[in-house]
Amino acid sequence: MIPNSLPILTILVFLPLACCLLLLPAWKRPRLAFSLALASMLLELALTVGLFASWKGLAAVQTALPGFLLLEDRSWIEAFGIRYTLGLDGISLLMVMLTAFSFCVAILVSWRAIKERAVLFLVLLLAMETGIMGVFLSLDLALFYLFWEVMLIPMFFLIGVWGHGRRIYSTIKFFLFTLFGSLLMLLAIIALHLFHAQQTGVVTFALHALLKTTLAPHTQLWLYAAFFLAFAIKFPLFPVHTWLPDAHTDAPTAGSVILAGLLLKTGSYGLIRFGYPLFPQAAHILTPLFYTLALIGIIYASLVAFAQEDMKRLIAYSSIGHMGFVAIGIAAWQPVALSGSIIQMANHGVTTGALFCLVGMLDERAHTREIAAFGGLWGKTPLWSFFFLFFSLASVGLPGLNNFVGEFLILAGTMKSSPLVAALAFGGIVLTLIYMVRLVQEVCFQEERQPLELTDLVPRELCLLALVALLNLWMGVHPAPLLDLIRTPVRLLIGGGP
Amino acid sequence: MDMITIPAVNMTPIMPEIFLSVLAMALLLINVFVPSGQKSYIGYISFIGVIAAAVLVGTGWGMHVESFNGAVVQDNFASFFKMIFLLAAGLAILISDQYMVREECNHGELYPLILFTVVGMMLMAAGTDLMTIFLGLEVMSVSLYVLAGFNRENRKSNEAGLKYFLLGAFSTGFLLYGMALTYGATGSTRIADIATFAAQQSLPSSNVMLLAGMLLMITGFAFKVAAAPFHMWTPDVYEGAPTPMTAFMSAGPKAAGFAAALRILLVSFSTMQADWSQLFWVLAVLTMTVGNITALRQDNIKRMLAYSSIAHAGYCLVGFTAGNPTGTAGIMFYMLSYTFMNIGAFAIIVLVGKKGEPNGNVMDFAGFGFKHPALAVAMSIFLFSLAGMPPTAGFIGKFYLFSGAIQKGYIWLAVIGVLNSAASVYYYLRVMVYMYMKEPTEEFDWLQVSAPIALSLLISVTGTLVLGVVPSIVLQYAQEAIKLI
Amino acid sequence: MLGTYLPILLVVLIAIIFGLVALTFSSLIGPKKKTALKLSPYESGCAPVGTARERFSIKFYLIAMLFILFDIEAVFLYPWAILYKKLGVFGLVEMGVFVVILFVGYIYVWKKGALEWE
Repeated sequence: MIPNSLPILTILVFLPLACCLLLLPAWKRPRLAFSLALASMLLELALTVGLFASWKGLAAVQTALPGFLLLEDRSWIEAFGIRYTLGLDGISLLMVMLTAFSFCVAILVSWRAIKERAVLFLVLLLAMETGIMGVFLSLDLALFYLFWEVMLIPMFFLIGVWGHGRRIYSTIKFFLFTLFGSLLMLLAIIALHLFHAQQTGVVTFALHALLKTTLAPHTQLWLYAAFFLAFAIKFPLFPVHTWLPDAHTDAPTAGSVILAGLLLKTGSYGLIRFGYPLFPQAAHILTPLFYTLALIGIIYASLVAFAQEDMKRLIAYSSIGHMGFVAIGIAAWQPVALSGSIIQMANHGVTTGALFCLVGMLDERAHTREIAAFGGLWGKTPLWSFFFLFFSLASVGLPGLNNFVGEFLILAGTMKSSPLVAALAFGGIVLTLIYMVRLVQEVCFQEERQPLELTDLVPRELCLLALVALLNLWMGVHPAPLLDLIRTPVRLLIGGGP
Repeated sequence: MDMITIPAVNMTPIMPEIFLSVLAMALLLINVFVPSGQKSYIGYISFIGVIAAAVLVGTGWGMHVESFNGAVVQDNFASFFKMIFLLAAGLAILISDQYMVREECNHGELYPLILFTVVGMMLMAAGTDLMTIFLGLEVMSVSLYVLAGFNRENRKSNEAGLKYFLLGAFSTGFLLYGMALTYGATGSTRIADIATFAAQQSLPSSNVMLLAGMLLMITGFAFKVAAAPFHMWTPDVYEGAPTPMTAFMSAGPKAAGFAAALRILLVSFSTMQADWSQLFWVLAVLTMTVGNITALRQDNIKRMLAYSSIAHAGYCLVGFTAGNPTGTAGIMFYMLSYTFMNIGAFAIIVLVGKKGEPNGNVMDFAGFGFKHPALAVAMSIFLFSLAGMPPTAGFIGKFYLFSGAIQKGYIWLAVIGVLNSAASVYYYLRVMVYMYMKEPTEEFDWLQVSAPIALSLLISVTGTLVLGVVPSIVLQYAQEAIKLI
Repeated sequence: MLGTYLPILLVVLIAIIFGLVALTFSSLIGPKKKTALKLSPYESGCAPVGTARERFSIKFYLIAMLFILFDIEAVFLYPWAILYKKLGVFGLVEMGVFVVILFVGYIYVWKKGALEWE
């Protein structure tokens, strides 16, 4: 049990940042720094797992906001009515666990890969963890926005300094795309806050207060559009997705893991936490658009993925497809589908993160990611191939592995409200199957095309992947604890339900 | 024989000005009586003087004293701006010594001139009479012309000095003509009297002379704060002037221009706000857009920061357009933040440059990030702040200004503002791309950090971050400062 | 209100017209007999020596500027002198401050060597 007197959420958010300071004395000793950073990330993971283990106990105690397990509220910038409000409910707990987990994966996969400027790399990674934790825990819109932008900065350097290929182009594109959307969201946040202040005389950015603002339909539509754009770019939805393949391809493996595992989730999380609840009518009006973009995303990304020569780029496009499912589940705004989306967010983070790790490990050995360069790896590197097959199947949605749960719930929920969408999305799964099977077949099973000297996984990599695989299996076979966790928040978000 | 009755003169409101003037004159004399070569200590004395003046200003906080028959006032508005000027001057003094020694133009007159500039700026902020404001403006401008051309051996510096002088004189003409017309229309140069006159008119904007006077004054101030389309002098002057003076010019005099313009427009012409806010809408959009778009294509880093400084004036004009307490306090907060972050960035440029600054391009920062990690981190903080990224002062400042605009219903202005802000990120990122993502072409072994520059960097970094993370400590002062206007 | 300035405008107009008329008529009516002597430039009746576009030493400018500065400042002493009795002690003190400031400038200029010709 964790004592209630500790500001656990603050610790959760700022522990990694505090660890940055700890790393400074270790500036010249990268190995020590790696250990320190890993220790703090593991501590973070332990903290979140501890929270997960005790969430039922926490739920029994009523906090100021229904559905929230933990709340922290302090005054910050009084002149603007900005408060430092952090809150943890089931959804954020799931996301926070995913965050802590993904960062452990990211640091372990970089253990040997990052040789130059290692300490700076770790500092950025830790700063990023702070930013993402903050995004998942903030309940004050201004605070949320602050974390939302802060997490861009480390990613900018991660891709730009340690990336490959056209890293500078990619990282600037990534930064400008995401910034563009979020700045408009900032205006919408300010406008919303001013409307609220006009109506009630209370100057605040607190989510729970702003939820009660009544807005003219027209206004609501504009504000929602600004929020939607920011989240859609992060998601990424179809026409604004072009930064993602570039960023993913050129990022170092750890960057890809975090991009796919977490940054994309901040978009969907934002829509669930802020977009829909704040502007329900506008969101309802724009649902057809949302469905359409998501479906186009799924089908388009799958088709493009099929044509990729670069393994990493292929997986990046598969991410767009998977996030399309998450989008459909949110668009349905229906308890089963929404639960599916939330579960799928975690699933996709785990599965795609693992796939990026696998490609990164291969890249370290072969110095290429061209699909055409490989073939017959099943014989040469059986362990790598096994995991590659395992996570590819998970990605496709094989029953028993985690993605199946999410996709099933999403489709089941959507079927009730819009069967056509569900049917088309199902077609998307088939497309996913085609390109993933092609990938595995070409890389693992075909004749060897180029003589490559490859060593199989080393114990560190093996442990890492085995752990992720076990987690994956657990989430696929026994998702009930996670579904329990998010049941109350989902019910509160939608009103009614299971 | 009748004695002319002299009204009781209260010197308190201009104590800091008197103090700095006397100090500057004393330093001028000391300068000529001691052997050449040893000039650094004049800088130290000036720095201490600036701190003492800041204490004087600080002790007057909260008081409202008018003096000289309503020509000068001591109020929080003036005090807040005076603090900005003193901060800008203090930081500029700290980064000057090393630069001037390197450029071999270490003349002791530099520091007294900076102090005279500050005196002029203070009078602009404290003046409640058009004449006082004009006097302050001239004291400031004349000193600045000299400062811009201070490096006499350098052609670019000469060009900067001359260009600044010619265009500055030109803009002063506009301003003075506007003041004359206003006096002609209202019969007074006192800001309060003009306000009374304008309030009595049923439709003040139909008084052609008053309107023309206001417009000409706005034109004059637009020159001084480098607002488009009156910004043409800025890049050349900022590029050519000695770098510490560029830093100073971009922060202090700009704030002074805003201070005087704010007081005149918000007090004298408050009844004509509908007229001038439209004008400022256009000015703001033009200034932001021209500054940012042109900055995108600059390779010389001083020139890039010059255009960025135009853009930042544009953001402040957004607050001007709003003209409400939020927007006004936003300008004050923004100018304070801008002083920290911009002078900080220039301090790094001072350090990186060699004699004559042959390496003044963005490309010359290649690999800097790993040769001098601490300086590069500081530079990154300044650049992110200039770009308006949280958690830095620049973000809070923009947040404040755009809030003001939205509050007043200028949604499109705010949208154009943030789009500009997004575009500006590109050229700030470019510097960081060179610092961290390109292979070094230089060893940067000539680079030495003297103690004063280290101190100025420390102040700048602290200011940029503190204003970004806990802005409350300053916000309340900014909000108190605008109450009286 | 602007009407009060009308006389000034009239005076300016008349001045311009008068000048134009005088110049035009003298060039129209006057006889023109050009000889080499008449067309040559002259300085105070002497034949010109050397080029007219010679550069003056910068010292002249410096001295001229200093002269104007101190001269104009000195002008302020006159109104004070006339009103000396009415202004009383206050005026004396103020003028003292003024002169001290001028004096600082003078010492500065002196010590800088701006008054030395060589």
